[in-house]
Amino acid sequence: MIEMHNITKYYDNFRALNEITLKVERGEILGLLGPNGAGKTTAMRILTCFLPASSGSATVAGYDVFEDSLEVRRRLGYLPETPPLYHEMTVRAYLNFIGEIRELPGKLREQRINYVSERLGLIENLGRVIGTLSKGYRQRVGLAQALLHNPEVLILDEPTVGLDPNQIIEIRSLIKDLAKDHTIILSTHILPEVSMTCGRVVIINEGEIVAVDSVANLEKNAKVSPSWKIVLKPAAGQQWRDAIDRCESAHISDIKELADAFEFRLELTRNDMFDDLFSSLTSGGAVFREISPARATLEDIFLKLTSSEERKEEA
Amino acid sequence: MKILAIMKKELQAFFFSPIAYIVFASFLAIVGYLFWVILVTSKIATLEPMLYNAAFILMLASPVLTMRLVSEEKKSKTIELLLTSPISPFQIIMGKFLACFILYIVLMILTLQYPLILSAYSKDFDVGPIYSGYLGLVLLGAAYISFGLFASTLTENQIIAAMVSFGGLILFWIFGWAKHAFENDFGELLGNLSLFDRYAEFLRGVIDSGNVIFFVVFTVTWLFLATRVLESDRWR
Repeated sequence: MIEMHNITKYYDNFRALNEITLKVERGEILGLLGPNGAGKTTAMRILTCFLPASSGSATVAGYDVFEDSLEVRRRLGYLPETPPLYHEMTVRAYLNFIGEIRELPGKLREQRINYVSERLGLIENLGRVIGTLSKGYRQRVGLAQALLHNPEVLILDEPTVGLDPNQIIEIRSLIKDLAKDHTIILSTHILPEVSMTCGRVVIINEGEIVAVDSVANLEKNAKVSPSWKIVLKPAAGQQWRDAIDRCESAHISDIKELADAFEFRLELTRNDMFDDLFSSLTSGGAVFREISPARATLEDIFLKLTSSEERKEEA
Repeated sequence: MKILAIMKKELQAFFFSPIAYIVFASFLAIVGYLFWVILVTSKIATLEPMLYNAAFILMLASPVLTMRLVSEEKKSKTIELLLTSPISPFQIIMGKFLACFILYIVLMILTLQYPLILSAYSKDFDVGPIYSGYLGLVLLGAAYISFGLFASTLTENQIIAAMVSFGGLILFWIFGWAKHAFENDFGELLGNLSLFDRYAEFLRGVIDSGNVIFFVVFTVTWLFLATRVLESDRWR
């Protein structure tokens, strides 16, 4: 559905993207993840025909973004970083205008305006002037604009920015719903968002793809050891510390001394040592107050991938 | 159809913001004042001075109307919406031009009170120059707007857009002076480019097809260039 082939983009002498090759299948939600300035927005702007690539080619729904830009633009909905709103218009007038330039005939336009404003909780605000809306509502109007013409391909640049937690959950489930018959690329720097909505993740750093995989595989392959957050009330002295130090595959960090207990993060390089270690701690008289698994998060993976990248460059 | 959508949106924007009202009010106040003073002091029932003054004041007022047309879209990033929609730069420019032109025509209609006042108090005054004068003023308006619109595509700063159109229009206005200064082919050429010299002929009651064509070509040229500038944003 969406293909990028060796896309490179220079802004004067600055290389924003370097030989990006990417394929998104129909019905997929792809998450673009990366720190600020990694090239996420640039990649999206190339796909939406807003910017030309310096070299390489890209197609959307089988049409080249440069040669058949009009056909590409007919098929996509785009929510840019800054929602493109006319502040002096009412929400209804704005969506109507979008419908007109998106080639929606009168009756269908009316239907779609009602449908998207219902989905996005905008119905009561259709008559309000956009300039008077709060940031969250503006973001929703921006999303409504991208969805209005029911496009095959949706490109969303940080779609949940500025929304309150309830709205974020609603928007995420809306995005998941849409994936049934849309192809979606969304960018974000909020890591949990990717694990919750996206089937596949592309991690970009400094204009290069660092990793492409499903969230689960990334977590598995990153070789980040399993770890736990533990609150422990020791029996006496440093006995608990010795028990842990004796276990070679255990590593503790972030030790905090509480009133009568210790809180720390335990990492085990060997999963099978879990039972041994824990029973030796309890037999020493220590009492566990809390044991919660701290899963390897995308954050860890992300840091690992981007920092190993740096190491490669240094070498 | 999409041209009309853009046009409608721009007209809405003009009337939602105070710009249109302020330009209308100050234009009508100045022109009304001049009409009255000239009529009372000269006691001649002619519209020529008023049409002449109107053209000059419109030259100063029209950049205020045109400066926001594209600059504001660039500044507020809504241009990203337009350029990623299935709409061509030509349609964008034409819609914006028409919106501004309609506004201008409305302003022209509001000035029709002056010839009506003249015709009410004077029995024998020549309507020919009034028709041709208004035709000239409408053509001149199209020229002003197209140049201002072009200037607006160049920058996201409305002040710069306004200054570029002031500067450009005033230059085109005074090019005619060179004709008398040089008295050679170069002076002749500059004189031919002068908006004022062409317009002055309409005020004398002369509708020269050459002058009409000049204004049409002038307008089309700047609209074309505005379209190209907008297009170039896509492949730059």
